[in-house]
Amino acid sequence: MSSPAPARKVLSTLGTTLGAVTVLLALWHVLTAATGFISTARFPAPLEVFDAFKQIAIEGYSNGRWHEHVLRSVLLVTMGFIVSSSIGVTLGLAMGASRKVEAFVNPIFLLLRPIPPLAWIPLAIVWLGLGDAAKIMVIFFAAFVPSVINSYTGVRQIDKPIFEAASMLDVTGWRYWREVLIPGAMPSIFTGLRLSLQASWTTLVAAELIGALWGLGQILNQAAQDIFPAMILVGMLSVALCGWLMTLALGWVESRVTPWKVR
Amino acid sequence: MANIVFESVQRVFRQGGNDFVALKDIDLEVQDREFVAIVGPSGCGKTTCMRMAAGLEHPTGGHVKVDGIEVTRPGPDRAVVFQAFALFPWKTVWDNIEFGLLSLGVESGERRRRIEHYIGLMGLKGYEQAYPHQLSGGMQQRVAIARAYVLDPKVLLMDEPFGALDAQTRVVMQEELVRLARQNPRTVLFITHAVEEAVYLADRIVVMSRRPGTIREIIDVKSVRGAEHWDALPRIEDVMDLPSFVHLRTHVWKLLRDQQGGDVH
Amino acid sequence: MLEPKLDARSFWTLTVAGAVALFGVWSLAALSGITSRTFLPAPWDVLARFAQLTVEPFVGHVLHEHLLSSLQRFGFGFVLAVIVGIPLGLLMAWFGWVDRLVSPLFETVRFIAPIAWVPFAALWFGTGIGGPVLIIFMGAFPPVLINTYRGAKNVDRKYIEAAQMLGAGSIRAMTQVLLPAAVPSIVAGLRISAGLGWQSLVGAELIVASSGVGYLMVKGQAAISTATVMSGMIAIGVIGFLIDVALRRVQLVIEARRGV
Repeated sequence: MSSPAPARKVLSTLGTTLGAVTVLLALWHVLTAATGFISTARFPAPLEVFDAFKQIAIEGYSNGRWHEHVLRSVLLVTMGFIVSSSIGVTLGLAMGASRKVEAFVNPIFLLLRPIPPLAWIPLAIVWLGLGDAAKIMVIFFAAFVPSVINSYTGVRQIDKPIFEAASMLDVTGWRYWREVLIPGAMPSIFTGLRLSLQASWTTLVAAELIGALWGLGQILNQAAQDIFPAMILVGMLSVALCGWLMTLALGWVESRVTPWKVR
Repeated sequence: MANIVFESVQRVFRQGGNDFVALKDIDLEVQDREFVAIVGPSGCGKTTCMRMAAGLEHPTGGHVKVDGIEVTRPGPDRAVVFQAFALFPWKTVWDNIEFGLLSLGVESGERRRRIEHYIGLMGLKGYEQAYPHQLSGGMQQRVAIARAYVLDPKVLLMDEPFGALDAQTRVVMQEELVRLARQNPRTVLFITHAVEEAVYLADRIVVMSRRPGTIREIIDVKSVRGAEHWDALPRIEDVMDLPSFVHLRTHVWKLLRDQQGGDVH
Repeated sequence: MLEPKLDARSFWTLTVAGAVALFGVWSLAALSGITSRTFLPAPWDVLARFAQLTVEPFVGHVLHEHLLSSLQRFGFGFVLAVIVGIPLGLLMAWFGWVDRLVSPLFETVRFIAPIAWVPFAALWFGTGIGGPVLIIFMGAFPPVLINTYRGAKNVDRKYIEAAQMLGAGSIRAMTQVLLPAAVPSIVAGLRISAGLGWQSLVGAELIVASSGVGYLMVKGQAAISTATVMSGMIAIGVIGFLIDVALRRVQLVIEARRGV
């Protein structure tokens, strides 16, 4: 059913959003550069930010160009996230499927769960120093807990009739996992993965802020030391951009893996 | 003069690139203190008429005027009693009834007087501090009616107010509304798909056709009611036994039937 | 074949076994002498240090004084997030233009991890309380705003029509209809908000503070005193847990009162 109405609606929403963005940008410019109401020593003007971005993209800043920093951070997050969530999801599913596993592993969990991801940083630094290893350790603990918990709840909330049907159809072993447990828990698993990814990013940026040679957090740190507000903002927006893109990527994966889910 | 006037009202909906006509050529005047019921099959647009008078929807053609003023937005001068009650669940019975009076800026002594009057009239004494979820459907609708009447509105608009109630409660509410309406005559536009209800309550009945909704016929009930002294009988079942009542009811049924297999209740 | 619950005996045996395994491995590793005891303390070393910190000042204060500092910052940041978030959420739900204006800005800022505000926090506030409060605010604010907005937007149309019919202006509509209707959503948001706020506090104190539990951990790390760092982690975990428990109770009370 071809209809101009929905297309028109999308364009109109896009239009108002662009309009709002333009208004905000204009306001920003006026408040900072044009009138000096907000001193640019405290908050950068739009053009300054643009120039800073050009600088880091082309010449480089703090040991590297923009894409080099981004790649480093993204790589660390991806590695840590994948390792951590693979183990976490598997463990969570096992805990969900087997009461025995759950009872045994629970004590470790109760200990780990209340600790905020960032609280692992000092410990990681003590044990592993300021290098990448410490960062991976922190990301691991940050991403681990949400993956486990959500996979566990994912299994537990599968409708009982599905289990009964599986039993009747004599589905066991690997098939049971692949065709009953995992698909059933999938939506929750992805919720957990989203939370894990968020935690991974936050902890990496924090860890890089505290001590690193490269990475987005490191840009922020250097810019803070150099008192370079425009570059600080470039760093922040880069963090936002990467976080957003990775979330989108995860969403895309989810839609491919769970085509049956009502969105 | 608190009358409701529909002048050549049209209502066209746009859906997915197609226009469909919900209401066509509605010309109707509800006179001052007249009780008019609109009946019709599902989807004929009768609720839309009421919502336009309330200001919750707008005609695409023609005008809707209350007391000579074109209706543009909702307000306490055109009080509405909704089918789904729409009482605020987080407010007590008293506060629900009081809500509109606060908007009108009525001072506190007068507010108290009015609320107490209608609490008494609607049999809500003792329930002032109760919350809606603690009350039955019938009680909740009584609160909704009190909330509307207490505003002393120019017109009252009722959208199938007894539709969500069980049969017995419905009958009781109809009797109460008749008592209220005869004692305290107001301009009322009453929407229902229940023919008997319309014949029992109204001065005139507007029978609508299937979509696109137009007015098929307007039937005068008041003169019959007066001539046959329906109001002398306190119980609804006695009134509904009267030949004059049955005759009118059948007439309306036939009008509704006569439309390519329409829904008739 | 979802398994039936374990009988009490099996449950407790396995739970104890798990705890024993955890602390056992840990203790053995500590006692084995692979590394120094300050680097890898045994569980009881950590508890001893924790106890010590409650009486002996470390980097200027005893443990509960540090905790109080942290809680104070958390309190300010959280309350600020609530005071700004709830009204703004209501305004955005009611006035389309506010929504269109604020949303793009919010969606951008939202993806900036709260910790990324540290440089600006340091720039604007130095080591004053404003720095951590800003970061906590950035962590606590989004859930409050989002949940208020969603709760208000999802109000059944009939209540809004009733309010309009009854002559309520925008302010009364927002405070007397949208707000009460959104309360369950808001309270759920507050729980998430408190959790995120507390986490952000930790991050903030690792960098821009001169007291507080996070600061204590950083200084412990500098002194390579794992026991101190772990004591900090315990304190943070316990307080975070208690805050969540308290809010959960509030949530239950509100749900009960509404006859949900």
